[in-house]
Amino acid sequence: MTVDDWLAALSAELRRRRIDPAGPVGEAAAHLRNSGQAPLEVFGPPAAYAVAVVDSLRGATREPRPPRSGEPLLRATGITKRYGRRTVLDDVDLSVHAGEVLAMIGANGSGKSTMLRICAGLLSPDAGHVRLGGTVGYCPQSGGTSDFLTPDEHFVLVGAGRGVGRTEAKARGRSMAAALDWAGAPRAGETRHLSGGTRQKLNLILGRLGDPDVLLLDEPYQGFDNGTYLDFWQQVLRWRDAGKAIVVVTHLLNELDRVDTVLDLTPGGAR
Amino acid sequence: MRKTLVVAEMALREISRRRGVLILLALLPLAFYYSRRGEAYWQSVRFVSLGIGWTLSTAALFAGSAARAIEPRLRIAGYATHQLYLGRLVALWTVGLALALPYYLLIRLDLDSVRYDAIALILVLTVAVAPPLGLAVAALLPRELEGMLVLLTIVAMQMMLDPDKAVAQVLPFWFTREIGTYAVESGAGTEHVSRGLVHAATALAVFLAVVALATTLRLRRRSHISIA
Repeated sequence: MTVDDWLAALSAELRRRRIDPAGPVGEAAAHLRNSGQAPLEVFGPPAAYAVAVVDSLRGATREPRPPRSGEPLLRATGITKRYGRRTVLDDVDLSVHAGEVLAMIGANGSGKSTMLRICAGLLSPDAGHVRLGGTVGYCPQSGGTSDFLTPDEHFVLVGAGRGVGRTEAKARGRSMAAALDWAGAPRAGETRHLSGGTRQKLNLILGRLGDPDVLLLDEPYQGFDNGTYLDFWQQVLRWRDAGKAIVVVTHLLNELDRVDTVLDLTPGGAR
Repeated sequence: MRKTLVVAEMALREISRRRGVLILLALLPLAFYYSRRGEAYWQSVRFVSLGIGWTLSTAALFAGSAARAIEPRLRIAGYATHQLYLGRLVALWTVGLALALPYYLLIRLDLDSVRYDAIALILVLTVAVAPPLGLAVAALLPRELEGMLVLLTIVAMQMMLDPDKAVAQVLPFWFTREIGTYAVESGAGTEHVSRGLVHAATALAVFLAVVALATTLRLRRRSHISIA
């Protein structure tokens, strides 16, 4: 099935469910164009994805959340970053309290991953400051795992850094894997044999292991199938309810009404 | 200490699963050994240690390059920088000792009229110096191909250069020749061993310092971050 065929089928499925297809189809097309991946691999069959879109829109109708007070768990002020003559981030501010989700959006190259790496302390800005009110978990867009270790060994390795014992780290990792519809994690072999989506699940679990207060997630759903994608957002909302401060870099704009704040890094975008 | 040992354990697991690399690790020094076994057996001792030095430093280069992807995450997860590189070194030193032991036994069975304790010392020092050399090259040259060519150049120069030349003496495995002289020449004095020990200790200290400095710089806590 070609991308155009898949988009046409999705459009038809959404119309059948009395949803205006323009928005979701446009977002899916943009994602497919940017990622270069096959639609069936990324989103699954058009009918199943249409159901997911409808579910997501229904889930969006919720009570407005009261504004947060007190010190944020993550506050970035005046972040500026240049690569050569090109200014990628220009005086960007960001603030996330406990129990809040911030979605960071923007065009390719607008500095989303750079901003997240600066917040994680992996990259120095040319100007600006980041203040953290707790421990940080970081899930990169790709990488961050070792090809020759099994998922259990990753859990032990990252868990030890956070002071979590071997058995406990494995138990927590496996439990989070099951929540992402990955019950086979305990039996999985070396990471190099995992599919892209499963590897990304591992990446996400490692970011969460040790229960950090601030979660920085850089498009963590790359390669997720449809069901896992929905599971992921349910997890994010659960972590938020547990008092975590969460930043998610995302391209998928249909989730924006489920988050508390949107930071658009496109030049001239909403901040 | 526990964190360092966990890193060492996982690094050992990673290395043990690279079976192709392990087979080459085991066989390449053998080729070096037999290349000089016939007409110049005394050189075969030095060649086998250079073979071990090359394969072990190359393995360290690949291990160091592969670790770059996961080390930032481990740093955020609570590891200190020194726990990361020391853990990896412990794993590589363990592999090196396991690699060197059969070669020591081979020499013990195959060569007569040599000082076996001096040969054991050469092998132990080679195992000590090679991993920090490989990690230091990995730290300075992030691309594996460039790093491997540098290591190849170092070992080739160490083999070909006149050991009395100053440039040969600043190369990392010069001590193999110096202690090797004592090991194979019955008339050689212990001053060869002393010079070799000083050289190996200096090389080890320099490469450890490079690894520590480069890793600390790369994974440093950035000054723009403050913790409330």
